[in-house]
Amino acid sequence: MESKIVFEKNPFSKRMKSMLRVDFRRMFKSLLLYILIASALLMPVLMTVMMAMMDGSVSVDPQTGAETVMQGPENTWQNLGTLPGGEAMGGGEVFMMCNINMMFMAVAVLICLFISDDFRSGYAKNLFTVRAKKGDYVISKTLCGFVAGAIMLIAYFVGSVLGGAIAGLSFDLHGLNAGNLFMCMLAKIFLMLVFVSIFVLISVAAKQKAWLALCGSLGGGMLLFMTVSMITPLGSTFIHVVLCAAGGALFALGLGAVSKVVLNRSSLV
Amino acid sequence: MNAAEIKNLSKNFGPKQAVCGLNMTVPMGAIYGFIGENGSGKSTTEKMICGLIPTGGGSIKLYGKDYTDETVRAKMGVLIEAPGCFPGLTVWDNMMLQAENLSIPNAKREVIKVLKTVRMEGAAGNKYKNCSLGMKQRVGIAMALLGDPTLLVLDEPLNGLDADGMRIMREVFTDVVKDGKRSIIVSSHLLGELQKVATHYGIIRHGKMIVEMTAEELDASCRTYVALQAADMGRAKRCLGLKYSRVEEDEAGYIRVYDLTTPEDVVTHLYQNGICVTEIKTDKIGLEEYYIDLMKGGR
Repeated sequence: MESKIVFEKNPFSKRMKSMLRVDFRRMFKSLLLYILIASALLMPVLMTVMMAMMDGSVSVDPQTGAETVMQGPENTWQNLGTLPGGEAMGGGEVFMMCNINMMFMAVAVLICLFISDDFRSGYAKNLFTVRAKKGDYVISKTLCGFVAGAIMLIAYFVGSVLGGAIAGLSFDLHGLNAGNLFMCMLAKIFLMLVFVSIFVLISVAAKQKAWLALCGSLGGGMLLFMTVSMITPLGSTFIHVVLCAAGGALFALGLGAVSKVVLNRSSLV
Repeated sequence: MNAAEIKNLSKNFGPKQAVCGLNMTVPMGAIYGFIGENGSGKSTTEKMICGLIPTGGGSIKLYGKDYTDETVRAKMGVLIEAPGCFPGLTVWDNMMLQAENLSIPNAKREVIKVLKTVRMEGAAGNKYKNCSLGMKQRVGIAMALLGDPTLLVLDEPLNGLDADGMRIMREVFTDVVKDGKRSIIVSSHLLGELQKVATHYGIIRHGKMIVEMTAEELDASCRTYVALQAADMGRAKRCLGLKYSRVEEDEAGYIRVYDLTTPEDVVTHLYQNGICVTEIKTDKIGLEEYYIDLMKGGR
């Protein structure tokens, strides 16, 4: 018996809707996301309070006898960037780089484990058998990482404000205004797209090898990490936001296309 | 139109040629038993059909369309190596994820339906990592059945199943293809089980298809034999060996005399030589023996 079978086309919007729903549901069910958000929230609180407590304490090198006076933060916004005439948190040797920009690296952990889990569990096999379009997967994962990164940045911002308040630090913006602060955060959020696109590319190339994805992502991220504070200063303006948004879109499109090629040309199991 | 038509398919992994000019035809409504030794290229071929690894050459057409066509791929169900489930999620959650990936309307109803089909409705709330091997395999098959697929590709789906599980799977397979539109490609080393359901066979060796046949053709080409037990087995075997070209003793302790359909000649011959036959029957070799015979170069 032979009869006609109708194969229906699944439009892009429907495909993306279902894939985003699956990925977001998985991401928001993952304990790792909440651990990272909690860390993003608690870390600036603990760090600010601890460094404020250490302010003025003297440490002596037992060999040379040289004395070092510990300098704590003076202003809450040092957690986010450099104020005019000051320096950012983590500018010193202790807690080096421990400011909001760390979130750009922390999101790598989430993305690498999220994607490698797809391949390790065999979920990717089920997915790619029924979904021929690899681009959908890349878009969905990039958006998930972007949203997670944005949440982590906001959590760090909230944590910084809390930490500053608890430690009794100044909230003075030294000539900047709330608009600059908002633009700075917005620019960082858009810049997150650049990092996420890099991490997604490295993760889809490494597939089930989470360790390789992590090492590659952290290494790759480090190359750009130092530029974050320059591109998104505390005194950011609309231009910074536009530049970061354009850079994010460009990286997402370019590296997304490369990720798609990698998935199309390599073994998915 | 065939469900799958593969021509000249090849795939190399470095210097190793995994699949080499493979041709394969899976008719619509067929349960295609895909058989071969370990490392013969079965899984590689199945992965290429599913688009999980790029082909090294040749063509794959599914329902007359290229295998990369998204509309055809959306109507495929797959179980390759192990079910693709997240260990920390429940069976239900895993099934719902796949249902959403397939954009199935009424996903809950569909998931309940397929879980009932594989008799797993009672274990839907269990975490996948806590399921037994057989249960995991059933979940994998249930997942492959989601979305009413027109082509199922199942790699060793019977592994780890108990007798009841295997019976259920046989029922599921025959049920899937009964309307003549859907087809199943199933590879298994459990040839006895496969023979109970397969309508077509393809035997692969060193990446090449060596035989493709229907179940009827297999049946016709399987040798008949007379199996017997005698009071003095050693003498009986020697005595039969002098008259018949192929006499062997099987694992169950029977002497088999091949290419005979009636036992009268054998009984008469042994009786004339003073050997008493205690049990005798006629039978045909199964798929397993046919396959072993083929691999040994007996055909």
